[in-house]
Amino acid sequence: MIWLNNVTKTYPNGSRGVENLNLHIEKGDFVFIVGSSGSGKSTLIKLLLKELEPSTGDITINRVKTNELSRNQVPYLRRNLGVVFQDFRLLPNKTVYENVAFAMRVIEAPSRIIRRNVPAVLALVGLGKKGRSYPNQLSGGEQQRTALARAIVNNPPILICDEPTGNLDPETAWGIMQLLDDINKRGTTIVMATHARDIVDDMQKRVVTLKQGQIVRDIKKGGYSDEA
Amino acid sequence: MRPSTIKYFLKEGLSGLKKNLLMTVASIVAVMACISIMSFSYCVASNLQHILQQMEDSIGISVFLGGNPTSQEIEGMKTTISKIDHVLDVQYISPGDALEALKKDWGADEDIFEGLDETNNPLSHSFQITLDSIDNQGSVLATLKGIDGIDNIRHGQTETELIMKANKVFNIASILVMLILGIISIMIIMNTIRISVVNRRVEINIMKYVGATDWFIRWPFIIEGVIIGLVGAVIPLLVGMPIYAKVISSLYSYFPVIKMIQFLLTGDIFIVLFPVALVFGVLLGVIGSVTSIRKHLQV
Repeated sequence: MIWLNNVTKTYPNGSRGVENLNLHIEKGDFVFIVGSSGSGKSTLIKLLLKELEPSTGDITINRVKTNELSRNQVPYLRRNLGVVFQDFRLLPNKTVYENVAFAMRVIEAPSRIIRRNVPAVLALVGLGKKGRSYPNQLSGGEQQRTALARAIVNNPPILICDEPTGNLDPETAWGIMQLLDDINKRGTTIVMATHARDIVDDMQKRVVTLKQGQIVRDIKKGGYSDEA
Repeated sequence: MRPSTIKYFLKEGLSGLKKNLLMTVASIVAVMACISIMSFSYCVASNLQHILQQMEDSIGISVFLGGNPTSQEIEGMKTTISKIDHVLDVQYISPGDALEALKKDWGADEDIFEGLDETNNPLSHSFQITLDSIDNQGSVLATLKGIDGIDNIRHGQTETELIMKANKVFNIASILVMLILGIISIMIIMNTIRISVVNRRVEINIMKYVGATDWFIRWPFIIEGVIIGLVGAVIPLLVGMPIYAKVISSLYSYFPVIKMIQFLLTGDIFIVLFPVALVFGVLLGVIGSVTSIRKHLQV
């Protein structure tokens, strides 16, 4: 599903984001990317989203070499990738329903399909009754569920999460992790960058540890690495 | 493009304009100024052109004979003039004919000529000379000046040249003013769109993540520019039409002499001006928004 082949990203100021990454994530995987600040987690996420271009090496997502994509093709790559951020990034002047429908509208989904899929996804993330609420009327956990609903409403094969529990208390964070696990069990590949040691230890999924831009540990099933 | 998508673009474009009302109004006023100047220039220039055309059609040289020539002398003079190069036609006009023509030109006001008849007609015997081209007027005039018995020569050369020159100066001046106003309009529109882009930063960011195409993101801003341009063009046109009609009719009623020249009708002017001004207004809006998008919207 995702292949990174000798990927190095050096920033224009000379600092190194990631160095010589080789990573293969299979369809249906649930992968934690862990590491301290500055370890290269964010750089890796941005490379996957094609927000950044690798300096050398190549990235293949869903059998498409992303370096070879023209600017016009990038949106179609991104339709394969759902994204969730630490800070939710909801539109404050739109309701929960509209926030989720927005993701479908901007890829020009037919209104009929929007009316069918949005309520279904809201029910899936446990917000079936919150469609008319505005983001500022929701708890942090509910806001993240809304963001999650928006990320998966177009049914992307891959879900990328950048510290999705970073702003949530442990209990709420757990709820989100349960939800991610459910989504993963439905076949979506999940890549999640995180600091949260407890979560990684409890989930017992694949863990890739980054340090100073390099992969220092990659285990199929395990907990948070002390090297991170 | 789906109808629901077009509806979405229109809605977003309008809401962008509403959120940013002060700049929207400023942009519309700028476009209005530009279109007003353009419309005014077009009205003046096309009328000058029209008048020039009328003058050129009636262009010719009038030659007045001194004293009281005999019919033989008149016939001889006619032959001499006909032989000059570039002269197409020579028409003899007796003082009586001239008086009749004058009365007709003045129409309802012909009573000012009352009391004039064959006995006290102050007008001279004259020839109306038609040339093959206005360009040869100079050489024909020179030849005519050398002929004895000609008292006075009158020609439209200076008037025509004056109008031509005025027309040219006016055209250059209005193009310059339009250019400056056009650039100002585009700059104000650019700023309006920039603010609109900044207002929608978060939205644009999300749109990019979920895979909206660059064009999908750009359209609402282009719509904003188009709306500014359309409104800015339509208002001066709608206001200008009755004003033009009013100005022409007052010119005719305050200066009866002007009846000799024909102004263009409101319909003749606006059937050309309307589409041209609309296209120009929309063009200003589109150029403004597209430049701004390229500069501020990194998609």
